[in-house]
Amino acid sequence: MFLNTSSQTRLIQRPSPPSRPRSRLGSATERHEWLLFLLLVGPNLGLFFIFTYWPLLYNGYLSFVRWDLLAPVKLWVGLGNYQELFTSPDFGKIITNTISFTIAAVGLTCSLALLLALLLNQPLRGRTVARSIIFSPVMLSGAAIGIVWIYILDPRYGLLDVLIRAVGLRSPNWLLDPHWAMPAVVIVYVWKNLGYAVVIYLAGLQAIPRELYEAALVDGASNWARFRHVTIPGLSPVMFFLVLTTILATFQTFDVIKVMTNGGPVDATTTLIYYLYQEGFVGFNAGRAGVTAVVLFGAMLIFTMVQMRYTQRKVYYS
Amino acid sequence: MSQSRLNRHQISRHQFSPPQISRRHLLKGLGAGVGMVALAACAPVAPATTGSTAVNAPAKEKTTVVLWSSFTGKNGEAETALVKKFNESQGDVALDYQFQGSYEETAQKLTAAIQAQNAPDISLLSDVWWFKFYLNKALLPLDDLLTTANADLSDYQDSLINEGVRQNKHYWIPFARSTPLFYYNKAKWAAAGLPDRGPETWAEFMEWAPKLTEMDGDTVKVPAFVHPNGGSYIAWIFQAVVWQFGGSYSDPDFTMHLADEKAVSAGQFYKDSVHKDKWAIPTKDVTVDFTNELTASTMMSTGSMGGVKANAKFEFGTAMLPKQEQFGCCTGGAGLALLATTPEAKQAAAMQYMLFASSPEMTTFWAQNTGYMPVRKSALKSKEMQDYFTQFPQFKTATEQLALTRPQDAARVFVPNGDQIIGKGLERITVQEEEVATVFAEVQTILETEAKPVLEALKAVEG
Repeated sequence: MFLNTSSQTRLIQRPSPPSRPRSRLGSATERHEWLLFLLLVGPNLGLFFIFTYWPLLYNGYLSFVRWDLLAPVKLWVGLGNYQELFTSPDFGKIITNTISFTIAAVGLTCSLALLLALLLNQPLRGRTVARSIIFSPVMLSGAAIGIVWIYILDPRYGLLDVLIRAVGLRSPNWLLDPHWAMPAVVIVYVWKNLGYAVVIYLAGLQAIPRELYEAALVDGASNWARFRHVTIPGLSPVMFFLVLTTILATFQTFDVIKVMTNGGPVDATTTLIYYLYQEGFVGFNAGRAGVTAVVLFGAMLIFTMVQMRYTQRKVYYS
Repeated sequence: MSQSRLNRHQISRHQFSPPQISRRHLLKGLGAGVGMVALAACAPVAPATTGSTAVNAPAKEKTTVVLWSSFTGKNGEAETALVKKFNESQGDVALDYQFQGSYEETAQKLTAAIQAQNAPDISLLSDVWWFKFYLNKALLPLDDLLTTANADLSDYQDSLINEGVRQNKHYWIPFARSTPLFYYNKAKWAAAGLPDRGPETWAEFMEWAPKLTEMDGDTVKVPAFVHPNGGSYIAWIFQAVVWQFGGSYSDPDFTMHLADEKAVSAGQFYKDSVHKDKWAIPTKDVTVDFTNELTASTMMSTGSMGGVKANAKFEFGTAMLPKQEQFGCCTGGAGLALLATTPEAKQAAAMQYMLFASSPEMTTFWAQNTGYMPVRKSALKSKEMQDYFTQFPQFKTATEQLALTRPQDAARVFVPNGDQIIGKGLERITVQEEEVATVFAEVQTILETEAKPVLEALKAVEG
């Protein structure tokens, strides 16, 4: 109703423009509207500029200087910081860590969540309780979860060790073995964020019209065929949304890493964002942290653009 | 959609438009409201200094001094009590104590606060941080204030007070100063049939170690000893070991020695302890492991003693660090510094607290509650401290060792991130089993590169 009224208002208040030529802000009404527009948008734009765009621009500047965040003078080094980062022996490892963390965390979160959502979408007893349990870690703070998991993962007295021993295996030294630290961080990340993805998938599943399943059934489609040709296309916008937001979130995951491993052992869990923190706020090297931020921003931007373009063609929107 | 399109043509405007307020008026009002809120948020806040006291009109207004500090748990409680004692002890200064997180977080926030021109008056700064602020001229030389306040500097432990001196000026007053100390679990010692004392030498400890290590198949279940990891200051503890092996990280002029033979042999000793002789493991938190009987012994800060005493359910002993070629032990911990931005009117008041916190009575109180070193010579001789030694001989060992300590190497405390750079190298050998000489040579190169800007800055500041 509201939509109708406003459309009507617009129709009546804005008759088709008269033929006389006018400047862009010709009439008093238009100037008025322009002012109103500025008044409404201004505060938001101002905040965006101060807290988002300005730091972005300033970071770009910092990536060209050498500065310890305290000295009154910032020394201009041109592309020196870029060269230093790209030729640093750590850089390759950090990129590999970031990519492997992202692939593992996104892959596991999105696929496990889909399985759980399909299960919880069935009319099973106790599914409301199960949904709540699965969702609950989402509400906890990453730092608190990290601390609890340090104890769970300890190979000497941890809960997980008890479970692993029960099946006749030995627990690895999760957080102190460079080969196992990344899997440990991925497990905790997935455990924390799975519930969110499940809820989004459930909403997506429930939005798929029942008639489509009924029609497929009448056509003699098997379970798999219905999943492949009705559920998957129906869920594709939700999947797209989840994959994209999870990728962006994993690029920025900091709390769990900081609390559980401090980026170690021996850089095994140092991702781009953690490296940025280390360089900027432990080493107080604003230039190197600035370059890292530029790389991270560039990666996220390119990734988002490619994905948007690619998925727009593939995703089925009803 | 089709329904709404139908309606648009069927329903005339006046049927639905509100009679009094038009949509535009409403939006205008909202817009103005948002603007007002935004403006109000930017408005300067009236200084909240003496609101309520002004009403009571006291004879003299108190000077408020802001202190930033970093202690949690048992040590945090002791510091809060110390501040309370100060505020109750006099009527001129009100100390506003603000907890800022770990040593690192305090340094990070202080950097940001200095940029925002909103720094506290006094800040606790750890051994690896105060120098950075000194180099940036963010700290005030304290000598004039110390003279005015009639401070007896000769009563401070020489090794501790002298660490905060640059070009004959004091910048860093010792407060929560510590040293590494050897801690052992007496029950495990007795079970292994060992004498109730720490090992004299590392060779002796290596004879004891197999008796103290509990194995689970071929993996170590409860080791004889635990090493901290990079994040928990392995480079601090290992510095003492390098000295014991006759080496060092660097000279005071930043000439690096990590790749020298003696330092490499100390590194090899650490590597073998984990991978060849298997009596030690690296761990995330040595205090947690020791307190929970997950190791027979370790080296950790004297500042952990308060926590161990409160939480350990077994009897523990302390000993001086074992020797190798010689004895070696470094100082550590944190001191208090006065920020250069502190207004002149507050400087004397701030100094009053710094002297109070390091006074013989208070350093005794602080040391007994935390395990940090008494920073005053007279405090060590006091009756309270002597009585305390009888009750708690573990602490006596720590103070006896203090006399034999020496200040840390520039590579760890003055090179930006030096502690973490060396710590990562040590993780590469203890955790990743890499070759010591190669790793130390690489770490030395990094330290030399990172030291360059410090040397330049030092030249600019000290000439």
